[in-house]
Amino acid sequence: MARYGMALDYKNCINCKACEVACKEENGVLLGADKHRIWVGSNDVKGEWPLLDIASAAFLPSQCQHCDDAPCQEVCPTHATYYDENNVVRVDPDKCILCSYCMNACPYDARYVDDRTMTVDKCNFCAETRIARGETTTACQNTCPTKVRIFGDLDDPNSEISETLRVREHFTLKTHLGTNPKLFYLT
Amino acid sequence: MHVEVSRRKFLQGSAALSVIGGTSLSVTNLLAGHEESDKNLNDLRVTTKTGTGKATEVATLCEMCVNKCAAIARVEGGIITKLDPNPMFPKSRNMLCPRGNAGIQSIYDPDRLKYPMIRVGEKGEGKFKKVSWEEAYDAIWNGTDKFTGMNKILEEEKDNRSSFLFCAGEGMAEHTFKTFFSAFGSSNWLNHASLCLQTVVSGYGVTLGSYPGVDLENTEYIIMAGANRAEAIVTPDTMDGFKRTKGRGAKLICIDPRFTNTAAKADKWLAINPGTDLAFVLALTYVVLTEELYNKKYVAENFNGFDEYQKSVLDNKYTPEWAEKITNIKAKDIYQIARDFMAHAPKAIYYPGRRSTFANNDFQLRRAMAIFQGLGGGIDTKGGLVFGKKLKLGSHEALEPIYARAEARAVAKDKHPEKGHSGYSDCAVVSGGGSWIGWRNRFLEDKMPYKVRGMFIYKHNPMINMPNTKKTAKMLKKMELVVAIDTMPSDTVMYADVVLPECTYLERTDPVKTFAGVEPSIAQRNKVLDPMYETKPVIEILKGLTEKISKPLFEITKKYDDDVQEELADLGEGKEAKTAEQRESEVYAEFDLAKPFEHSQEEINKHMIESVYGEEAVKALDEHGVFYPNMDKYFKQISANEHQYYPEKEKAYTVNEGRPKTGTGKVECNLPNMGKKGVDAMPIWREEYNFVVPEGKFRMLTGRHAQFTQSGTANNAMLRDLIFENYVWINRRVAAKKGIEFGDMIEVSSSIGKTTLKAYPTEKVGPQTIFFVHGFGEESEALTWAYKNGGNDNTVIEDITEPVYGSSSMHETNVEIRKV
Repeated sequence: MARYGMALDYKNCINCKACEVACKEENGVLLGADKHRIWVGSNDVKGEWPLLDIASAAFLPSQCQHCDDAPCQEVCPTHATYYDENNVVRVDPDKCILCSYCMNACPYDARYVDDRTMTVDKCNFCAETRIARGETTTACQNTCPTKVRIFGDLDDPNSEISETLRVREHFTLKTHLGTNPKLFYLT
Repeated sequence: MHVEVSRRKFLQGSAALSVIGGTSLSVTNLLAGHEESDKNLNDLRVTTKTGTGKATEVATLCEMCVNKCAAIARVEGGIITKLDPNPMFPKSRNMLCPRGNAGIQSIYDPDRLKYPMIRVGEKGEGKFKKVSWEEAYDAIWNGTDKFTGMNKILEEEKDNRSSFLFCAGEGMAEHTFKTFFSAFGSSNWLNHASLCLQTVVSGYGVTLGSYPGVDLENTEYIIMAGANRAEAIVTPDTMDGFKRTKGRGAKLICIDPRFTNTAAKADKWLAINPGTDLAFVLALTYVVLTEELYNKKYVAENFNGFDEYQKSVLDNKYTPEWAEKITNIKAKDIYQIARDFMAHAPKAIYYPGRRSTFANNDFQLRRAMAIFQGLGGGIDTKGGLVFGKKLKLGSHEALEPIYARAEARAVAKDKHPEKGHSGYSDCAVVSGGGSWIGWRNRFLEDKMPYKVRGMFIYKHNPMINMPNTKKTAKMLKKMELVVAIDTMPSDTVMYADVVLPECTYLERTDPVKTFAGVEPSIAQRNKVLDPMYETKPVIEILKGLTEKISKPLFEITKKYDDDVQEELADLGEGKEAKTAEQRESEVYAEFDLAKPFEHSQEEINKHMIESVYGEEAVKALDEHGVFYPNMDKYFKQISANEHQYYPEKEKAYTVNEGRPKTGTGKVECNLPNMGKKGVDAMPIWREEYNFVVPEGKFRMLTGRHAQFTQSGTANNAMLRDLIFENYVWINRRVAAKKGIEFGDMIEVSSSIGKTTLKAYPTEKVGPQTIFFVHGFGEESEALTWAYKNGGNDNTVIEDITEPVYGSSSMHETNVEIRKV
């Protein structure tokens, strides 16, 4: 029993996409550029060469925010989307009817369709692979070259993530929607 | 927070980097496709989910690029299901980049070379016949009706071993292949160096005595010019370099003609004109000298030729105002950077870089950078350039017989060289590998001092990696016998007469290697799975080949080699007398090419380690893939993202008392010996270095990408999802004027050829330059996914070489673009 979350030192991100590949290989995510549980957001740099706006070219790694109040879970008519014992937002492929309500409800655009299982799929913090094997971290955290991520139990005050969030300023995405994401971006 | 980008927007916005592609799959069993070869290849584009059951783990080293990061392969039911970073290796610090993660696809690539083949079609046509290993070896020796065998060539060339060229790509087993080259006795060896980092290695080598590492973990100020560590990943530099930028302890100044991901992570980006970095460094030097900002004590104690260099820089008036006109960098920025750098020195780094030669002045640029670094005293010190420590390895047997008939390296010497000229036709200094382009062009122009008629290529792809692809194709066609050892049916392999399939890095143990650095270690690539199909590690391929050809080769030597004949005739006298047979077997022992391949790689590694570090070290390398003295005591995990490899006081920041490693122990500003060879003895600016692009043309830039190494990763199914094909970057305003929109097909042409790829209008390049990533545009039809995918830069880049080492200058070509 835990409440897993992730802190992202996003200024370290160099947009190399190691996390995306590690996630795909670990979790058997379908190949295809539109099939991914994890991605790095970037905007085209603003300004005119040579006076470009470096600040506009930040990289923002993202994935399912594992909201404590997840809109995707609320709208699911078959209860396919559920919270597991570690408060991770999961999808039960047996219950999913591919109605795609969740895809529309998710403010973070974190879901896609797995054409093999005909399920709406998304990040599950490696719940079926690494965490199920008793490992303590996700594939994306482990592989990251510039060490963007800290994964851990938010309910454990002594965990590294809890300590980090106590001392480092951070924000969450679309906070105003009241979804209470468990992904925290460190500033 | 405004940088947030949604999935859909992400896909749309970065289409130039990641385009929706590929077919969806129904196959989940990885091996199903391999057994049924008629299956649609798209079915093989699969990933396997890791399981929760029984698994074994093998410590290996990655080979997706040159870095050799440590990985742990997870094996379930005989299949590699995952490659994870190995936390124990100080060089790669518990990380695997996207390519490292995608390495799993290389072993399961359905296009792999699976069995030996010999050519049955026309050269370059790609028509081969599957044969046994014995038949392949036999074809190398005897030839077929399609190509000449080694026997005939060496008979006709009267045992001139140099009638064979050997070339290899970078890699851990390059050493094994080179062992074969040395035993064979040719003088013609070429590798990637002159297509890659020859000038930077040599520039620093002659100035500081070594091509140094950098301590980016502790530095305070970094100038990264023409190096793109966010995309062209180098470990540990990439990991150390970006954790403290953006106002977090280390200031990063990025100097690059295009806005790279490194620029995006920098505190300041300055768009320099291509090929003018030398003017920038000379101006920095000018500021430091005139404002007397340099470390006077360090210079007094550790510089040679400082006064001459100072005089040269001042007399030539390399002012920031002068440099502004040449470089496109504002004088005020140059003043600021020079002052800031020296304020932080010695914890300030002008990053030496690791990249190809871009401009003709690259050697001088590296010299100027090294000297500038020295002015701040940041050499062999924490936070500066570091030489690091190297753990020694035991030795192993090699064979280097001397063949009387083997000619020296095929370089063209001028008969009556002018004074102040090196005497070589295409460069001033012939170093280790020599100039690939120079060699190829001489061969094509029949300027060789003797006939070279055959070649062995090991995991090297000159059809893609060397400027002027047409000439490379001609060279390969002209060679009478081309033997290629490779894992993939590359464009170069298509020109081979005999193809010997090597297994991938995950299926072999490679020579154990020592990695110098502040935290030195030894690492070993351990075999994860047995080789698939009929493939073999190169050491076994060469064992088989040499066992077959060694004796017959000796017969040819006996026929033509006076020295050997003399040796054989000397039967000794009295008690020492021997029979002719005895004598022959003694002499043959010196020429037995199979000898270096007698032992397996595992046995050789064991011997090399055990003899120095004992049995425990052998065990550590087998189990963990990594070893260094006291590892068991020192290595510990500190946090989720940090490990300790050495305690701070054991780190080798300083190994040479803070001095350069040159013979004199000093920074060499002035090299009169170079002057005698027609090379500037000190870095100076020359008129011809100016950036000039004729009206209507563009300077062609090439480079790297984090999701793609070079042609070696072109067919990787996973990486292809991340970068489907390469796009040509064209300045957005220029594109608008020309009516070019995103995705339009553009023909890029130069004096030597053309290529076609899609357009990416962007402000990330200036109006006089275009850019596209290297390694795409394969012509080998055997590469399902890489075939005709994007454009090949080397069909356009002219074979221009810089004057010192004859290295290819990749950014000296002007091109035209046209919408097609």
